[in-house]
Amino acid sequence: MSVANEEVQSDGDTAKDAHYEPWLFQSMLDELSINELGIGFVYSVMETLAKRYSLRDVVVNLSHESFGAQMFRLGGQAVSAEMAASIGTTPGVYCEPDVVPPEELGAVRTACQLALSLHLARFSAAHDPLTNIANRRTFDSALEAAAARSSRYGWAFTLLVIDLNGFKSINDTLGHAIGDDLLRQFGVAMRRSVRSGDVAARIGGDEFAVILSNADGFEATGFVDRLRCNLKAASELLEFSVGTATSPRDSTDPTELFRVADARLYEKKGMTH
Amino acid sequence: MMSATDEDLELELRSLPGVLNVEIRHLESGEVDVVTLIVNGQDPAAIRVMAKQIVSLYSAEGSVVVDDATTAFRPHSSEAARVNLVGTSFDHETGRSEVELNFAGRIGIGHSASGTLVGGVEATLAALGDLGLKVPYYLVSVVNVATPRGWPVVVTLRPFARDSDLLGVAQGDDDVSSSARATLNALNRVLPIINNID
Repeated sequence: MSVANEEVQSDGDTAKDAHYEPWLFQSMLDELSINELGIGFVYSVMETLAKRYSLRDVVVNLSHESFGAQMFRLGGQAVSAEMAASIGTTPGVYCEPDVVPPEELGAVRTACQLALSLHLARFSAAHDPLTNIANRRTFDSALEAAAARSSRYGWAFTLLVIDLNGFKSINDTLGHAIGDDLLRQFGVAMRRSVRSGDVAARIGGDEFAVILSNADGFEATGFVDRLRCNLKAASELLEFSVGTATSPRDSTDPTELFRVADARLYEKKGMTH
Repeated sequence: MMSATDEDLELELRSLPGVLNVEIRHLESGEVDVVTLIVNGQDPAAIRVMAKQIVSLYSAEGSVVVDDATTAFRPHSSEAARVNLVGTSFDHETGRSEVELNFAGRIGIGHSASGTLVGGVEATLAALGDLGLKVPYYLVSVVNVATPRGWPVVVTLRPFARDSDLLGVAQGDDDVSSSARATLNALNRVLPIINNID
């Protein structure tokens, strides 16, 4: 891209073309699909900028409506408190030495802002905002995919539907702020308890679900034990009931599996109350 | 390129209130070793507890250090170097706005005959000039927006040099006051730096 730019200049083409070509922004975007843009892209852009202009240091200062001011430093290094204060919260790209054309800095800032926004949008679309575990949409997709694999290859998996006992009265007596905090704690306990490859999701107000891949009823018991243990360490206030269904034994249809697990959950709740 | 897991960890940490910057150091094994957060305007101990919880979901061993930038930011938030609004007025007969500012004990007055919204901004810029302050920005837009709690004014100022626009938002007793406050909201962040004021 930079060679093409020089050719334009030597040919004496229009002033606009000769003025600036955002090589960095374009070349970085060429290498990535929009679905991959994320925080890592911000660091890659900084790295490329630093190499091109032999920079010792780069700080990209972004402002995001959800996050407020966000600073990124070359190589993922920490920005010291003094450095942060000297840069301030005004968005921009700060280079040492200050040799990069302003247009280039503008393109870098735009690309980085886009990457941060897309990463957050992607994360938000897939996760529950309170607990940071998967949301209902992600759960439904994961359940369908697991059921399809189970139907085609016979791979077993277990679906757990979890309901918090008496959560409404906690909200009513202790307030929604504490209720939200307890839900967050439950989300953390869920994340601690699942294995890599499992999916933990919040599917309703106080309803959660887990897909345990390659698992039968025995693994489900292990998960519930881990969840109780992790939850006890965080809060004594929450208790939960669980209903399970295993594919392919109970069904390979996702809707039917959910119905079976839900029915077993309410069977248990009826027994405990 | 960072792994998707590291990206999500950093995103979660950056979503904590007041977190400005995140550094994640890894062990040779790839496990998270130390996470350093720079925070502004939040209790570092509370942020550390939340950050530790998040990090523990990604790594059993990772430790968390929180560096508080609040104190370092204080000189630049410039309570001492801040331009304050003393008062505004609007003459309905002449359509003339007046803005009176105070800076370091001095008073600056500015006028404009451009109505309430634009006039409020222009009069504020004139009053800043009256105080002897350099303001290398010009007005791009000023609008008031409907919210459940009133009509705050949003001011966009553009630098004469190639740089980022400044946005200011404020709500006062009337449109002139809101415009003046929004202009100061945008400019108070940069005026001490531009004018070399400590």
